[in-house]
Amino acid sequence: MVVRQYNEELKYLEKINPYCWRIKMGFQPNMNVEGVFYVNSTLEKLMLDELKNSCRPGMTGGFLPGVKQIANVAALPGIVGRSIGLPDVHSGYGFAIGNMAAFDMADPKSIVSPGGVGFDINCGVRLLRTNLHEKDVQPIKEQLAQSLFDHIPVGVGSKGIIPMNARDLEEALEMGMDWSLREGYVWAEDKEHCEEYGRMLNADPSKVSLRAKKRGLPQLGTLGAGNHYAEIQVVDEIFDKYAAGKMGIERIGQVCVMIHSGSRGFGHQVATDALVQMEKAMKRDQIETNDRQLACARINSVEGQDYLKAMAAAANFAWVNRSSMTFLTRQAFAKQFKMAPDDLDMHVIYDVSHNIAKVEEHVVDGKMKTLLVHRKGSTRAFPPHHPLIPVDYQLTGQPVLIGGTMGTCSYVLTGTHQGMTETFGSTCHGAGRALSRAKSRRNIDYKEVLTKLESMGISIRVASPKLVMEEAPESYKNVTDVVNTCHAAGISKKTVKLRPIAVIKG
Amino acid sequence: MDEELGGLTEDDFVIPPVKYEYLDHTADVQLHAWGNTLKEAFEQCGMAMFAYMTEMPYVQIREVHTIEANADDLMGLLYHFLDELLFLFSVEPFLICKKLVITEFNTQEFRIVCKCYGEEFQIGKHPQGTEVKAITYSAMQIVDEPKDNKYEVFVIIDI
Repeated sequence: MVVRQYNEELKYLEKINPYCWRIKMGFQPNMNVEGVFYVNSTLEKLMLDELKNSCRPGMTGGFLPGVKQIANVAALPGIVGRSIGLPDVHSGYGFAIGNMAAFDMADPKSIVSPGGVGFDINCGVRLLRTNLHEKDVQPIKEQLAQSLFDHIPVGVGSKGIIPMNARDLEEALEMGMDWSLREGYVWAEDKEHCEEYGRMLNADPSKVSLRAKKRGLPQLGTLGAGNHYAEIQVVDEIFDKYAAGKMGIERIGQVCVMIHSGSRGFGHQVATDALVQMEKAMKRDQIETNDRQLACARINSVEGQDYLKAMAAAANFAWVNRSSMTFLTRQAFAKQFKMAPDDLDMHVIYDVSHNIAKVEEHVVDGKMKTLLVHRKGSTRAFPPHHPLIPVDYQLTGQPVLIGGTMGTCSYVLTGTHQGMTETFGSTCHGAGRALSRAKSRRNIDYKEVLTKLESMGISIRVASPKLVMEEAPESYKNVTDVVNTCHAAGISKKTVKLRPIAVIKG
Repeated sequence: MDEELGGLTEDDFVIPPVKYEYLDHTADVQLHAWGNTLKEAFEQCGMAMFAYMTEMPYVQIREVHTIEANADDLMGLLYHFLDELLFLFSVEPFLICKKLVITEFNTQEFRIVCKCYGEEFQIGKHPQGTEVKAITYSAMQIVDEPKDNKYEVFVIIDI
């Protein structure tokens, strides 16, 4: 890493408009393209403070700040356009979290990097709507929260309740949501409202280690821990009545359910296995990167292809996982309201992936190119009329689901044409951490958090008490700042704001 | 390689002192462990990871399992050692460990054999702590300085 004084570092950064900064060539060695990041004045301070801290003398063996990581990604072989930091960007493993980068499939030197996807492959958010109003839920809110908590296995060490053997798992990995549909866990129309229709076609379970399958099997249909959650939310504000209407969101107070989860131990193991393989491939193919964590392989190498096939299987696992929890959520609601999920209109509004790599067509320097787009902590946000979004959203643009944190609001955005040209149709994914977990536990009081949530009218069921402090809203960047920056920068458009009334967490 | 409970001796139930702590990292947590030998620092690092998943006073020693880890270098050895422990927790026998004893610590051929003492993780009996997704090489450090009697390891786990 290049070590310079903070004011020297700043010379490589240029604010090009109130919401966007440019990272010039030379900020890190061997940059092939420039970097860019989107921040407003509040987020800008967090971003620059991170850089300033890393410039202090004696900061050896510490963590690379997000802005340096964006620049290191810009130095990867085959990158096109710019390495992009979204407003929720923070330091991660190799790639920053909230970092997207696209690589030219036609360039034989182009790479795929598991660090550009993340350990939790196809971690994502799904939003279900209901025809219930907040006042229908209030009287039985506690029972409903408890029922959801009882139905969905959460937290470390929990095991799935969807019956599953090794053969079922193979099929699920290959078929994704088609498996869930065949087994009767989802509705046919759920698939339509899901990226890739809930199935990546290039998934190949034979490219997945037995170790990953063993880790995945007991965890299918579990929420997980950390920042994952299931929330009962109500519509708090509608910014775009037309787009909201297309999503079946008609009025303030309408009840929705948001599920944030991923591919569990299965995806974590697929990523771990790939990192080991790629270290070897990097030595063989003499791929140089600025950071050892940016392990990668050429897209066309055996390791690259095997990873993409295993990653697709993990993506399918994640969709089956979210689908299983959709099933459990519908059951919990049906039992409490003594009505069929159909009659409660519990449709999937959309399901997004915010840790994934996909092959997409984009215009680069006026030419249509096939790219491998890495989105790590970044959500696809395709504009109106894009052929890959469902017919229901052709005129609105793709719904983008932005999960808040425990006790804060969440947002639905839509994709824009500007986002398509500026950020390869990508936007933010959530709030992004501001405080470390250890710091949260030291500085935040467990009871205070619970009392505060209670005073806000939020029921909470959390498996791990430690998590209450770690995941307290104070530990995160303000999701409203993040979303407003995306909106103001034009890379996606605010549609609906949701606020939680019950939270279920690991 | 599993042993019956009856096979355990009194010594097996002696709990080692805590020689680890958790350091700050924005999204994840950094384990810092130390010991009188590098072997002890490795054992402590493994125990630190388990202690992050639950509260140790609730864990009893009822089973012993043996794991092996092999690697090409010392950092790889620490990585694979922790990865094997995480695997032991994530699949059958779902073991949450209270005590780790490395019986073979070969830093020439980079091989570890370790006895893992604990019991099956049970929701209800064991408080749920934080889930560990993966071990990382990120900012990994191994301090191995026999002349100063200084043995420490630093590992970031992805949570």
